[in-house]
Amino acid sequence: MALQNSTSRPIKTVSFHQTWSAYAFLAPALVILFLSLLLPAVATLLMSFTDVSFLKPTNFIGFDNYIKLFNDTRFQQAVGNTIHYTVGVTFPTMVLGLLAAVALNQNVPGRIAFRTIFYLPVLTSLIAAAVVWAYVYEPYAGPLNGVLTRVGLPPQPWLQNPSLAMNSLIIMAIWRDFGTAMIIYLAGLQDIPNDLYEAARLDGAKGKDIFLRITVPMLSSVTFYLLIILIVQTFQVFGAIYVMTQGGPLGSTETVVYQMYQTAFGYTEFGYSAAMSTILFLTILVFSIIGTRIMRRKDA
Amino acid sequence: MTDLAQPAAMERQITARRRGREFPRFDVMNVIGYLLLLFAALATVMPFLWMVSTSFKGDQEIFRFPPSFVPDGLRWQNYLDAMASPDAGRQLVNSLIYALGSTVSNLVFCSLAGYALARMQFSGRNLIFALVVGLLMVPAQSQIVPVFLIVQKIPFAGGNDWLGNGGTGLLNTYWGMILPTAATPFGIFMMRQFFTRIPMEYEESAKLDGASPFTIFRRILLPLARPSLAVLGVLSFQSAWNDFVWPLILNSHREMATLQIGLQLLQSGPDARWNVVMAMATLITLPVIIVYLLAQRHVIDGAVTSGVKG
Repeated sequence: MALQNSTSRPIKTVSFHQTWSAYAFLAPALVILFLSLLLPAVATLLMSFTDVSFLKPTNFIGFDNYIKLFNDTRFQQAVGNTIHYTVGVTFPTMVLGLLAAVALNQNVPGRIAFRTIFYLPVLTSLIAAAVVWAYVYEPYAGPLNGVLTRVGLPPQPWLQNPSLAMNSLIIMAIWRDFGTAMIIYLAGLQDIPNDLYEAARLDGAKGKDIFLRITVPMLSSVTFYLLIILIVQTFQVFGAIYVMTQGGPLGSTETVVYQMYQTAFGYTEFGYSAAMSTILFLTILVFSIIGTRIMRRKDA
Repeated sequence: MTDLAQPAAMERQITARRRGREFPRFDVMNVIGYLLLLFAALATVMPFLWMVSTSFKGDQEIFRFPPSFVPDGLRWQNYLDAMASPDAGRQLVNSLIYALGSTVSNLVFCSLAGYALARMQFSGRNLIFALVVGLLMVPAQSQIVPVFLIVQKIPFAGGNDWLGNGGTGLLNTYWGMILPTAATPFGIFMMRQFFTRIPMEYEESAKLDGASPFTIFRRILLPLARPSLAVLGVLSFQSAWNDFVWPLILNSHREMATLQIGLQLLQSGPDARWNVVMAMATLITLPVIIVYLLAQRHVIDGAVTSGVKG
């Protein structure tokens, strides 16, 4: 690299040398992003119009996959399950995160310890968490049923009952995610000027009013941002379901990504799976764009 | 998962610039609130306590109902059994190679690209930056099938011809595991934001001396970026170490399994013993928590000192 940059001044025209060396800096990262994100996004879209599979030659089949998808009752169930999961996880996570953040934003004894404890589940690997919760929910020797029996309540088949399984997964996800919400809310609370609280207190406002009239409105952009990232993340749930229920019982915990995985690697219907992936991608993209807009507005 | 990456970075900032608020007054509401807080903390650590307690139980004790909370004795044998389970050593090596490879390549590639986007003048800069920001929004999970097919079709790898046909490509290789995670839009974005904030004066004298862009990057800006690199490093390591889906899909060979896959195999196996599974889960979880607790302090110090300098 014998480039002479000593002559470079803040001038408008950019020399060939400068451009060349900048692209040398960028090249490795760009190649990786191209292979791991850009090309796959385009490939997914193209594949969704074919019947690509390992077993037979590929044909272009137009919108057949999408038509099939909209009439597929299993897919409809998966969409319903995914929405159930997303709504069930997102809102309690945000409420708990906000309450924890407001509580820990004060100088309570053991603040750092509380914060670390609430953040521990976020650090745990998804699989370790799923394995531990599979044990907690275990019907015959699991601690949850043990506690229920001890206080005189009937034990439940948490992951084996179709009407309980999804809610059991939701509780685990809330446990894992509310630390994230807490941290983001804590950052948001730091940005609220103290004068606002002091003025409110001088005017004789009560704690509840201060919370509802100052804290909550001032956090609205943080709340919206958090809502988006939680939706985007919970929409893509896979690992916990793979470990804990495998989509069962009776398909009651089968989500879109889990079905996508099954369709691609279980039945090798890559084209059909790509159509699911495209639907998922477009849905998530909408939420991501909204989220990015909000982030921009917050930075500005 | 870049979504989770930001809160961790934010938390460090919070700790760094936290100011003590006034102590809350002592009244009934505060006592109730504090009790709720204690309850929430207890509920949050409960699964961890069950994990550790079960990991010390004997083979009969785990089937006792209702289960005992405090184990009869400390059965360290479970930990030895977990470590002696087939391929455990191999899985540890695989996890380390994957996590370290992904971390190092992220540090190198993201800081190079971030530097170019922040500090160098070239045509197409805005376009590339817009591309990086756009790719931040692509959900990785929904792209897993085509990434698998691309990795399989890398030319000249694993017996492939120049068109990428005929062989297995990078399936069941470390390169295949690391490649899609070797640089992330989030990492590039973060490094670019950091380099943008460093004053121009730092490199101007070096430019007058005729130093090349790479020398300026390597000798002047990279040492300044140590706090950001630490954050990026911790996040990259954590996300690769905890990754499950990508190694699961990429690797069909048992000897390429990572610790996360190993834990899942151990748990779903026909002769799964909960005490050994929990010992394994404890062994996998502890390092990440310890590294985080240590790095948290280190990163905070870094943030404070770089704040003074900048």
